[in-house]
Amino acid sequence: MTESRAGGPPARRGPGELESEILSLLWTSPTAMGAGAVQEQLSGELAYTTVVTILSRLHDKGVLQRTRSGRSYVYAPVYDEAGLAARRMRQVLDKEGDRQAVLARFVSDLSTDDEALLRRLLEEGGS
Amino acid sequence: MRWIVYLPLLLPITAVPVARLAADHLAPRRVVGLLTALTSVLALCATISLGLLTVVGTAQLPGVPLPDHWSDPQVRASIPNVQVIGSLASAALTSALVCVSVVLWRRRRALAVLRAGVAAAGDTELTVLPIGPPTAFALPGRRPRIVVSASMLARLDADERRALLAHERAHLSGRHDRVLLVATLAMCAHPLLRPMRTAIGYALERCADEAAARVVGDRRVVARAVGKAALAGPVTPHGAMAATGGPVPRRVAALLAPTPADRWPTPWSRPGAATLVALGGAALSTWATWDAAIDLHAILLTADHML
Repeated sequence: MTESRAGGPPARRGPGELESEILSLLWTSPTAMGAGAVQEQLSGELAYTTVVTILSRLHDKGVLQRTRSGRSYVYAPVYDEAGLAARRMRQVLDKEGDRQAVLARFVSDLSTDDEALLRRLLEEGGS
Repeated sequence: MRWIVYLPLLLPITAVPVARLAADHLAPRRVVGLLTALTSVLALCATISLGLLTVVGTAQLPGVPLPDHWSDPQVRASIPNVQVIGSLASAALTSALVCVSVVLWRRRRALAVLRAGVAAAGDTELTVLPIGPPTAFALPGRRPRIVVSASMLARLDADERRALLAHERAHLSGRHDRVLLVATLAMCAHPLLRPMRTAIGYALERCADEAAARVVGDRRVVARAVGKAALAGPVTPHGAMAATGGPVPRRVAALLAPTPADRWPTPWSRPGAATLVALGGAALSTWATWDAAIDLHAILLTADHML
């Protein structure tokens, strides 16, 4: 974690991290995806078999559903359990006091001035 | 004892300059270490000092289960207006303890609800919330998790999503939640430590941002991820108080600027001077607490012998 890798190739990822990355990809995809499409979309060179392994493991864990498409499977997130989890968690997430007691959120809320400043910063140096 | 016992209650003010200056002039990792150490020492000394004042001040109150000699006139004479000070100190100590219990209880309850939620979603590092506004956070614990809403993921491209995941992983692997908890509890002990808590919270975000930049290999990708994520969220209709803007624009600006140098500031620079003032304050506070405790002990021994 301490070594500097600025500008270098993407770091090697562990299995848990790959699961997260593939899961987040499938959640943003409008359609179910096959292993080939997932492999194509991921940054870094992942073997096709690795992608297949991770997809079937995520299916075993119940977070992905799969349907047969020709000779292989296409995968999509399971919405029901995730939706149930989300509704349970909302009680905490909606209460400011509770939220602050545990969580450092990725970003805090912006003020109107912040918003303008942020847009300018991103235009100048973000792209 | 006399006035020395009050020093730890005043000295947290010496940390205010460093809380304001450190974040923008030091590498985030150093800021976290420095500010957390200072905050812990100052809060501990202030609490002990309140405890000493409470012991001396309330010893003669009826119903306090302390040995008789604790209410000896000599003990009471060691502090002027001992009764007033004693009740004030015990009120302050009680409110600090209440604050600590509320913080710990809320944390426990919130963690329990969130952990039950992610457990229901499945056994993966990442839990995606299909409903609700854009949000992302790290959920610490024995099985650390990352929770992101689908509305947040949808706003980011693949590299930015990796940056987001790496940022949350840095929070989890560094146990940043514990650091933040220490800072929050310290704020319970002394309200003047509130700016320290804010500064530590910001420095932890900067740490995670820099860690994410090392993982994705491009600091601009992290800057974009942070910026886009914030623009996806709510905007409150108040202007930022600081000229540099709120925490999010400051983080983005820091990521777009060159990597901060990983060394301590020189003593004659403003952040260096602020660091020295705070270190001096913490040292003085420690000495004063020690001195007052020894003093009280000596007074009690003397009183004991005179009986």
